[in-house]
Amino acid sequence: MQLAGFYFPPGSARQTDATLCVAADGKSLEVRDGSGAVLAGAPRRHVTVTSRLGGLRRKMEFPDGALFETADNDGVDALLPGYSGALARLERSWRLAGVSLLAIAACAALFILYGVPGSAGWLAERTPPSVTRLITDHTLKAMDGKLLLPTALPSARQREIQNRFETVAGWEHHDATRYRLLLRNAPHIGPNAFALPDGRIVVTDRLILMAKDDMEIDGVVAHEMAHVNHAHGLRSVYQASLVPAAIAFITGDASQFAQLAVILPAVLLQSAYSRNFEQQADDDAAALLRGHGEDPTQLASFLERMELKSCGKTGCGPSWLGSHPATAARAARLRRAPAP
Amino acid sequence: MDTRPLTAPQAPADAVRSTLRFEGSAGEYFKIWIVNIALTIVTLGIFSAWAKVRSKRYFYGNTYIGTHAFDYHAAPLRILLGRAIAFGFLLAYSLTIAISPKLIGFWYLLFLAALPWLIASSLRFAARNTSYCNVRFDFKGDYWGALKAFVLWPLLTTITLFVALPYAHRARDYYNINNSSFGQTPFKATIPVGKLYKYYGLALLAILAALVMLVTLTGGTLNIFKPDNPLIMTARIGSIIFGAIAFWGAPAYLGALTFNLALNNTRLGEGADFQSHLSPVRMTWIIFSNILLTAITLGLMYPWARVRRARYMASCISVMGPTDIGIFQSMPMSAGNAVGEEMASFFDIDFGL
Repeated sequence: MQLAGFYFPPGSARQTDATLCVAADGKSLEVRDGSGAVLAGAPRRHVTVTSRLGGLRRKMEFPDGALFETADNDGVDALLPGYSGALARLERSWRLAGVSLLAIAACAALFILYGVPGSAGWLAERTPPSVTRLITDHTLKAMDGKLLLPTALPSARQREIQNRFETVAGWEHHDATRYRLLLRNAPHIGPNAFALPDGRIVVTDRLILMAKDDMEIDGVVAHEMAHVNHAHGLRSVYQASLVPAAIAFITGDASQFAQLAVILPAVLLQSAYSRNFEQQADDDAAALLRGHGEDPTQLASFLERMELKSCGKTGCGPSWLGSHPATAARAARLRRAPAP
Repeated sequence: MDTRPLTAPQAPADAVRSTLRFEGSAGEYFKIWIVNIALTIVTLGIFSAWAKVRSKRYFYGNTYIGTHAFDYHAAPLRILLGRAIAFGFLLAYSLTIAISPKLIGFWYLLFLAALPWLIASSLRFAARNTSYCNVRFDFKGDYWGALKAFVLWPLLTTITLFVALPYAHRARDYYNINNSSFGQTPFKATIPVGKLYKYYGLALLAILAALVMLVTLTGGTLNIFKPDNPLIMTARIGSIIFGAIAFWGAPAYLGALTFNLALNNTRLGEGADFQSHLSPVRMTWIIFSNILLTAITLGLMYPWARVRRARYMASCISVMGPTDIGIFQSMPMSAGNAVGEEMASFFDIDFGL
């Protein structure tokens, strides 16, 4: 049996039509030209044979640098069994491609549902408090003076808010000194409140002014304290870096193109995790308020008022894109929250 | 040195133009790609180096000039080693930054000092592991050259408020092309910098136009609408889409133009010229729609997108050589095998993380 192909002398691009066959001794490979003259020969184990890949031509490199090239993939596999590689067989089957796809989807689902939240939680628990404080300091430093200005509320009102904050903090079964209230005037942010990783909670002046009842502020504070309790801030940081890292690692050649295509799924995932955190914080806040004779419905109507003010009657866009669940859904959940 | 074309006796009048062809198919590549990803997951990432080599081999091996295709020879183990080292550095970086953000200056300097070495090494690795017709490519660029092209020129560009940008672009192209050779035959590019000024000027205009649109549409300081009414929202979405097209599109458009310019002004030895006529509009569209389709299908269309791009690019590039399929054969390259040197340097590791 012989294979038709091309022969290249050592280190040269000068091609000749040639054939490859197993020599009479049964152990060597020989390349011959049309007249039957031997162009190259070597023991089989010294010849490097490329593995089969798609319809690519196979190459046999001789120790002296001579090369034989053939498009006859099946011929090579028949003549030199053992060089084809199991991988090429796997790569040719549509059925296996389907199985791979399902397996990848299952792994991705497990990773998204358990892997990312689990490892982010594990990392968050093991992050030393000093590091958490450092991260928070840097975050605040970046925002203070630009986005966050000193509060413009009258000092009597400030004290009032501070007292209520301490009362709600006292309801938490956690250490009440974990939380610290920072009142800030933030004209660019508008009415809002957010928890920082080390337990500092920023509430903007506009949010205080928008509240019709101080119980509404209690609800907001309880929600942010729940974020602190579950270390949602740190978890988000870890989750945000885990998802793109995993995608880039698995897909291999992380070219610019691949990175760009990775951004959209990563952002969508990140907002999905964030919505879960918000729901958890709402649930905790509702339980805490009910447990101390307050009404979570207050928080619900406050959220609805905030949405009406910032997005109008049409709402703030599709909920699957947002970092928070749809306000209507959040309000409904808060209203039917059971007493603890 | 004798600069007479060696092919002169063989009637140079019948020079033949061969257009590159990409003969891979999206279906075939999809199967290879998906099976390799599954194996990468099963082996917790270790197989990714092998997957990368197979992927590269598939694309090189399906890119034909005449009757022969390119080939990719990198050893997966070396790529794995490169990735492990890069991963170690990444880990060390994130850990030290988390503990003391002040160390970022140290890392920045280290990275800047290592960058030329990384660029030179990876270009050499890529060239030496690429072959056509049993002849390997080679790359002779050194640390100092890379420092000039990738650090000093960009620095000068910043100092001159981007006036020197076309010169910096040319310096980078010269470093990449003029240090490369096919076997012993060197590539030589002579790029007219005036053309680059024209292209960059056009790109600047496009970006400025996009910025003006953006500011006008979103209101900004000229806000005459009540904030947050539906009209503003529509305008905001419109300007985001427009901005994305301009900021992603301008580099893609410019990329196609400068790619054509570089290739059209490159010669291989004395015997071969290149021609590239990528359509900037079509190239921008292909890149843009590829990203979009890949993202929407959660990556499933990635193989199709890659094949589509490779096929279009190949169809626009041609080589003008002295004889039909033997374009490169008549080159003085008989001893041009870079394998020995490739083996000699352990540190030519591919940093493709």
